Amino acid sequence: MSTNINGYNSGTNNKTGQAFVDEFLSEKNCTLPTSDAVVLALMKTEEINVIVDEMIRPMMDDNPALAVDDRGGYWWIKVNGKIVIDCDEATEILGKKYTVYDFLVNVSTTIGRAMTLGNQFVLTNELLGLETKIDSVY
Amino acid sequence: MAASNLAVKQALKNNPAPSSVDPQEVHKWLQDFTWDFKEKAGKYPTKYDMDVNTREQFKLTAKEYARMESAKEERQFGTLLDGLDRLDAGNKVHPRWGEFMKLVANFLETGEYGALAGSALLWDTAQSPEQRNGYLAQVIDEVRHVNQCASVSYYYSKHYYDPAGFTNMRQLRAINPLYPGVKRAFGEGFLAGDAVESSINLQLVAEACFTNPLIVALTEWAAANGDEITPTVFLSIETDELRHMANGYQTIVSIMNNPDTMKYLQTDLDNAFWTQHKFLTPFVGAALEYGSRFKVEPWAKSWNRWVYEDWAGIWLGRLQQFGLKSPKCLADAKKDAVWAHHDLALLAFALWPLTGIRLELPDRQDMEWFEANYPGWYEHYGKIYEEWRALGFEDPRSGFSGAVWMLQRGHGIFIDHTSSLPFCPTLGKGALKPSFLEKNGKRFAFSEPHGERMWLQEPERYEFQNFFEQFEGWELSDLVKAAGGVRSDGKTLMAQPHLRSTDMWTLDDLKRINFTVPDPMRILNWQPAH
Repeated sequence: MSTNINGYNSGTNNKTGQAFVDEFLSEKNCTLPTSDAVVLALMKTEEINVIVDEMIRPMMDDNPALAVDDRGGYWWIKVNGKIVIDCDEATEILGKKYTVYDFLVNVSTTIGRAMTLGNQFVLTNELLGLETKIDSVY
Repeated sequence: MAASNLAVKQALKNNPAPSSVDPQEVHKWLQDFTWDFKEKAGKYPTKYDMDVNTREQFKLTAKEYARMESAKEERQFGTLLDGLDRLDAGNKVHPRWGEFMKLVANFLETGEYGALAGSALLWDTAQSPEQRNGYLAQVIDEVRHVNQCASVSYYYSKHYYDPAGFTNMRQLRAINPLYPGVKRAFGEGFLAGDAVESSINLQLVAEACFTNPLIVALTEWAAANGDEITPTVFLSIETDELRHMANGYQTIVSIMNNPDTMKYLQTDLDNAFWTQHKFLTPFVGAALEYGSRFKVEPWAKSWNRWVYEDWAGIWLGRLQQFGLKSPKCLADAKKDAVWAHHDLALLAFALWPLTGIRLELPDRQDMEWFEANYPGWYEHYGKIYEEWRALGFEDPRSGFSGAVWMLQRGHGIFIDHTSSLPFCPTLGKGALKPSFLEKNGKRFAFSEPHGERMWLQEPERYEFQNFFEQFEGWELSDLVKAAGGVRSDGKTLMAQPHLRSTDMWTLDDLKRINFTVPDPMRILNWQPAH
């Protein structure tokens, strides 16, 4: 059982049967929630598996609310605030040129506001264009 | 070496000539090449005011886009044509799952086609060069996705042990009672009406919300049921969807600064959410739970994670500070997430000859799983399935039909005029509050008040001839034959009520049911209970 608030089966999904249905349909859960999290799904590939192991999992040391879950063909990742993948760092780890557009080949979904910033991939809960500007390195 | 040569060499060493230009630098330059929008007004102007300064979050150039998409295609087709062929992947799929993929791949193909037109509509309407850039890339993505969905059907038709249905599901759309619901959500919803409303339907709701369970989470169910074909293609499709989601978000950003037009947003969002939900919530849930032998988790939990907690919380919830409110239909949508897919599955079993696929009634193992996760399921649905099985549901000599069983007991099947989907007022457990309305001498059925309200506001938008109106008076076997629902021997049905290769139903067996398509609006004097 996950104790991580962002875990794949945390919160209401931790319940089963009628207890789940009751909480899912409860009045308090029938209004719009607000979440500070972001979600990322990455296709499993040679490069992505290395990025998950060498770059994303180590982020848990500083951010224990980061969740990484193996969902068969893809990795499901959820974290509060923001996640940044620096593709210059990935280039060094992978031993080959790897741009942010190479990374995007295997990013299967994002929930949050995603953008490229130079050779970085940024997924943030900020409302880009409303709360903050869409940054550019140029 | 001459001193001048040495000087040049030293200068190049100190200031090397660039071997390439950063694509994001190119993107920045390209924004200076703006179009003359005064001369080029959109063919379909929007009631919203779209900001000319809206940005595009991925800073795409054509070169990087083409390189990225080329890599996706090489990887996807390399996996399909080499790796999965060697693994005989097509024959390792559980038949229950393989059969439902005949519908999933085909219906999604329609969605991608509608998305192609919808994103082109947005490209034509937007005023910001960056925003147009994002929409244009989406148009090209959608061409790719149409081909990818067709590729799933094509691959299955070559490698799966029962290709019937993968080969001609487009033809069978004509009689599939679920297909008008696809057209309503993915066709009309994505590409008709106001361009910004199309964006809300397509990008903010269908793509940012429902593609996550439909295209991402579904791959986990696929893999659990032996299907590595679908994850290979669908996860690659979804790598484009995140840019489409960003397009949808920037559509909202582009209209938020003008309160005169912002006032339309809430109603358009409510309508779009209900439109997409009415088809996708029951269809995806039924495909996952009734199309699988090995189950991953209850659909209601997937819906809670992907639709409610993450999409509603991370997308809509964060926009509440700008005046966005909870969709009025949210509570009903959640009730549907628990029950509507069971209602739809019941109708699919009742109308199986029209589906073009082989369906298998839930067995004891399934029933235990359904009851454990949806308490009350057995009393409501399980007993019906047990009775149908005992009456010869699977037996081609029985002359039994679930649809006839329902009609004989007063359980009418109607078509909800707004969503275009069938519903049963007396056997449904989803968010039903049926009503009949009359306009110009014609009666229309509605399964709930949200769709009824949408129809009352824009009745001309929902004009279509439903299945019963279109085929009233047709004998069932004649209808299936005319629609191409038979195999190469000219008599065995493509659709079957079991997964065995023996005891296959033929046109003669279907004729034995002695069923002529009625229009329930005429024969059943049914009125909603008050």
